[in-house]
Amino acid sequence: MKVMKKAKVEKVIEALAKEHDVYVPIQRGAQTGFFSYRTYNEDYDDIMLDTLNVYQPPKSIVFPQTEKMYGFKSEGQKINIDQVFEESEPKIIFGLRSCDLKAIDYLDELFFTKSYEDEFYRARRKSTVMIVNACYNPGTSCFCDSMGVSPNEPENADVLIHDIGEGDFAWEAKSDKGEAVTELIKDLLEEQEATLPTLKNFKRKVDYEGVAEKLKDMFDHPMWEDMSYPCHNCGICTYMCPTCYCFDIQVKTAGEEGYRFRCWDSCMYREYSQMAGGHNPRELDKERFRNRFLHKLQFFQERYGEPLCTGCGRCIVVCPAGVSIIKVIEKVKEADV
Amino acid sequence: MREITNQIKDIARKLFEEKKIDMFLAWEKSEFDFQSMPFFARSAEEVEKIIFDEFSVHNLSNALLRFRDGKQRIGIVVKGCDSRGIVRLLEDHQFTRDRLYIVGVCCPGMKDPLKAFRNESGFEKTANADLEADKCNDCIQPNPVIYDVLLGEEQPPRMQGERFKKVKEIEAMTPDERYAFFEDKLSTCIRCYACRQACVACNCRTCIFDESRPQWVGREANTSDNMMYHIIRASHMTGRCIECGECERVCPVHIPLMLLNQKLIKDVDSFFGPFDAGLKYEEGAKPPLSQYRENDPDDFL
Repeated sequence: MKVMKKAKVEKVIEALAKEHDVYVPIQRGAQTGFFSYRTYNEDYDDIMLDTLNVYQPPKSIVFPQTEKMYGFKSEGQKINIDQVFEESEPKIIFGLRSCDLKAIDYLDELFFTKSYEDEFYRARRKSTVMIVNACYNPGTSCFCDSMGVSPNEPENADVLIHDIGEGDFAWEAKSDKGEAVTELIKDLLEEQEATLPTLKNFKRKVDYEGVAEKLKDMFDHPMWEDMSYPCHNCGICTYMCPTCYCFDIQVKTAGEEGYRFRCWDSCMYREYSQMAGGHNPRELDKERFRNRFLHKLQFFQERYGEPLCTGCGRCIVVCPAGVSIIKVIEKVKEADV
Repeated sequence: MREITNQIKDIARKLFEEKKIDMFLAWEKSEFDFQSMPFFARSAEEVEKIIFDEFSVHNLSNALLRFRDGKQRIGIVVKGCDSRGIVRLLEDHQFTRDRLYIVGVCCPGMKDPLKAFRNESGFEKTANADLEADKCNDCIQPNPVIYDVLLGEEQPPRMQGERFKKVKEIEAMTPDERYAFFEDKLSTCIRCYACRQACVACNCRTCIFDESRPQWVGREANTSDNMMYHIIRASHMTGRCIECGECERVCPVHIPLMLLNQKLIKDVDSFFGPFDAGLKYEEGAKPPLSQYRENDPDDFL
């Protein structure tokens, strides 16, 4: 088996960074997320391949929080679109976890299927290589296997690396893209015997079976009001979520010039569902709260056959009020309809 | 704390039995020992779930905004800072005193469930040994300032040393250094608006940041729009922030928001003070910056 020794990890990243913008899980001050290796500063940054995951999910690499789409200039009565900001620089996400890869699979479903293909997303996504760090030690807030994700044998990884102890990683190319990047660093890998770790038990389980079906009859259930009371309707859960993809398209102009951009939006915000005529179909906090969970657990399942939650546990960790999607699922299971 | 929990339960139960309240706001335990979360009891039976412990850090006065248009009579547990939040709501005419039964608890300082969860999460390199809520280190008012019943023994302020020390450090910087400092901090904002949502003083019905006709602040998560957001929010807090520190505590990217608030608290105090927002409630009182006067000198314009 090919092995990337601990001492070679940074060399591998450096070698890959010659032709790619490589995003690495990094602790940067109080923050953790996937940051470009180009911004890596060894005085402040700490690469995190040995921890469970990072706060900020990698979705922003293929679907940035703010993304310019096109620029325009007006000349008299005419408007000329003079720039299209498609971003297709080769990128590597190095060391993402299965839950976050699965989340990007869902973004693929959204942006590539059902008769619409998003060209801005496609440009970024097609040029991105996924080097997945197989997960053998689920954390306190993890429940990916309950949501149909395999933590250590993900589908659609380009390369799968396995922590085999002592900071060494077994390296398996899983796709043509994976083979191609492996070729770039083959001299840094060693051939040796390696035993893959065994997957530890999950501390948390949740039974999602039948939830989408049951939710069809629970739109007016009183549990939504009860459960939404502690929720502040801030957007932490949606912005920290690896799967939440709602966005808004807006414009900025200065004089004769301007650009159109899209930026993440959150169903937790009142403005999100504000309509031009003044009506807001989700005026109440509980309606916005309900929508978030129905989208994840029912609507996405109905449209794409899978729930829009990969069990990464981030929303549970970061919620200021202690709202938990696991509890929501459990409440749905228990509820009398 | 167990004794206080029992006292709170007894009070809440009695209030429900005597039909004096429709709802009681306190905390309940969630899955983990450190996970105390806001709880909205609506019957004497539900009172049994109530707890008050070292993780009851949330400022529940903010949750009253949800009921500001209703008629419910609400019992609520407040610590020192939270009680200043109640004064904020009363001064802002967001709630009437007669709808509230306030159970004040003298606060010995709280631990932060978010910190504890971060330690457990595996999303950070290092664990934080100290679970104390950072906000409590700046506390000047641990004892409730408005209440119907007061529980626990009066506590000394937890703030040690000089007040506004961190603000003075920032003031001592050159403008360029200061700009660089805030640029660095605010560039990481993800615009989740958790600071606004957790804030009891952010009680506008339609927030300027949600306005779209016109759109006052751009929606791009970049340094310029982020700064605009935070500067406007901070200036709206002038003379109104009650220093509960919830904004900074809930921030997922650790922006030192209380620095901005403390600066304005310091300025209001030195220009119009002595004044600290929400330290006492007097009906009809007009705290600084809350009134219009024809003869205002406004010589800065």
